[in-house]
Order: sequence, then C-alpha cells, then structure tokens
Amino acid sequence: MADILFNVGYGHFLVLAAVLFLIGTAAVLVRRNALIILMGVELMLNAANITLVTFSRMWGDVGGHTFALIVIAVAAAEASVGLAIVVAVFRGRRNVDVDKLTTLRH
Amino acid sequence: MRIVILIMTAVLSFGAFVAAASFTPAAYADAIPESKIDAASRAKVQERSPHDDLIQSSGKGMALMFWLFAAMTIGGALFVVTRRNLITASMGMIGSFLGIAAIYMMLYAHFLSIVQMLVYAGAIMVLFIFVIMILNRPEDEPVAPTGRFGQVLGGAAILYLVGRLCMMLMKVQPPDAAKAFAAPGADAFGHDFGTVGSVGTDLFGNGLFAFEAISILLLIAVVGAIAIARPLHEEQSDEDKQKAADAKGGAH
Repeated sequence: MADILFNVGYGHFLVLAAVLFLIGTAAVLVRRNALIILMGVELMLNAANITLVTFSRMWGDVGGHTFALIVIAVAAAEASVGLAIVVAVFRGRRNVDVDKLTTLRH
Repeated sequence: MRIVILIMTAVLSFGAFVAAASFTPAAYADAIPESKIDAASRAKVQERSPHDDLIQSSGKGMALMFWLFAAMTIGGALFVVTRRNLITASMGMIGSFLGIAAIYMMLYAHFLSIVQMLVYAGAIMVLFIFVIMILNRPEDEPVAPTGRFGQVLGGAAILYLVGRLCMMLMKVQPPDAAKAFAAPGADAFGHDFGTVGSVGTDLFGNGLFAFEAISILLLIAVVGAIAIARPLHEEQSDEDKQKAADAKGGAH
C-alpha cells in the first residue's frame, strides 16, 4: 500500500488516464445535454493524450508529444464544429437535449 | 462533499509530513550515477546552463505532487458528470485541464503542458462558456432513469472491469529499468526532451504530413462551423416545422 502511495511510476499515470477516460465515457453515456457530451469527448481525448505522453517519456521518444499535439488540434476542430451544431440545433428547436433529437429516427 | 475535502486534506498533510520528514538533499544528489551519464551530452548541458542537471521525477515529493494533481484532474472531471449547472461543469473542466497540464509537466512534456493550458483551458473552454451563455438554459436531470437493479449490476460490472484494467496497467514496465525514472536529459537523446525545439524538430520531420493535414482540417472546420451556425432566413417556419415533427414523434 505504501509502495503504491509513495513510489509513483508509469503505471500511476496510465491508471489516471484510464480513470479519466472512464469518467469521460460516463459523461457521454449518462448526461443528456449535448454540451456536456462534448465535454465528455474532450475528457476522453485528454486521457488518450496522457497515455501518449506517458509512453513517450517511458521510451524517451518525442514522437508521442507530436501526436498529442495533433490530437489537441483535432480536438479544437471537433469542439468548434460540435458547438456550431449545438447552436444550430438550439436555434431550430430551443433545447439541446439529445433524447429529444429523434427526427431522423423514423 | 465536506467529508471528501476533509479526507483529502488529511491525506495531503500526511504526505507532506512524510515528505518533509524524509527530505535530505543527498537524496537528490545521487539521483543518477555519474557513470551512467554520457560525457559529451553532459558537457553540452554544462555549457548551456551552469546549474546541475540531476533532478529526476521520483521520490516522495513527486508522489505528493502526483496525488495532488491527480485529485484535481479527477475531481474536475467528476464535476463535469455530476453538476447540473453548466457553468459549474465547465469550471470543473478547466480545473481538470490545469491538472492535466501539471501532469504533463511532471512527464517532462513542457511544451505540451503550455499548449494544454493555452489551447484547452484558454481557447476551447472560452468557446464552451460562450455557447453556454448564448443558450442560457437551466440544466436537466443528470442521470437517465433506469431500474435500480440494472444500475447496481452495471456499476458492479464497471467497477470489476476498471479494477482489472488498473491492475494490468500498474504492472506496465519501462523498457530499461536501470534509467527508468532518470531525467530524460541524462542519456544520449539529448537534454531537450519535450522542449519546443525537440517537439518542433519531430513535428516538422516525422509529422510533416500530419501537420499539413491538420492545417487543411482546421480550415475545413472553420468554414464548416460558420456554415452550420449561420442563422437561417426562414427561422420561424422552420421552428414550427420542428414543433410539428416533435408532436408527431411523441405520438408514436
């Protein structure tokens, strides 16, 4: 127990990333507000980034940093388009509840 | 909530006490054996900066910092899931991003840490808060209603899976155990691991195609975001149509 508490190794960072990914997944699955779902996706991307940076440090290779940088850029693009979709949906129907967006289901 | 804060404070002060009690300057001095250090790169770093380059990211001080920032990251993420108020959720998100930036710093990813703070905590969250302010809707119920039995069963299954995953991840071994936690500058990779220079060299070398693709992607995203969010001219009739569709969907 004390070993886990005081000897922080690479496993700790990987477990932190896994827990963060889990919380992001929970946000996507449980919440019904489209904005919170987008935030959950951002959390999942960040968890993937932590894993990349951890392995990059482990192997002494900066390729992981480059990839994490590209992931951040993709996340920014995804956030802007996602928020634009949220604004467009809100303009049409005055709420952003994903449970009520069932027009395409039939 | 108060209980959780109390427990966290107790754990952190215990960790601080242990770290302070066991602190000796000699523990940092023998971080990397002299024989392990490449002489040429050592000379290079001495030439560049006069201070000693023997700090490694291990020991009780780092453990304390890790648990502090991990608690910040996880707590902020939990705020996103549990809070009904959207502004509170986004503030928790910002705290989570700042914790992640500190975690990057701990992993010697200096440049990425700054980018995380600038792009995520700065730009993306400002965008989110703008949209929250525009929409200005009170929040709905956070948890979708399901049966109590299903919740317990699903929770137990998720806890089991995550526990097994964590046990597996904790056993991950670095490729070279001898210098696993040494400062990355202490070997032949050079002393600029994770700085703007090394990341830029790799980005414009190995990742050049990805970089160019990202520039096109960002351009498409900007144009697409403007095209999607632009107000429609027949807004009123469109809204009426949606209402009619909702009524029809509810009848099914």
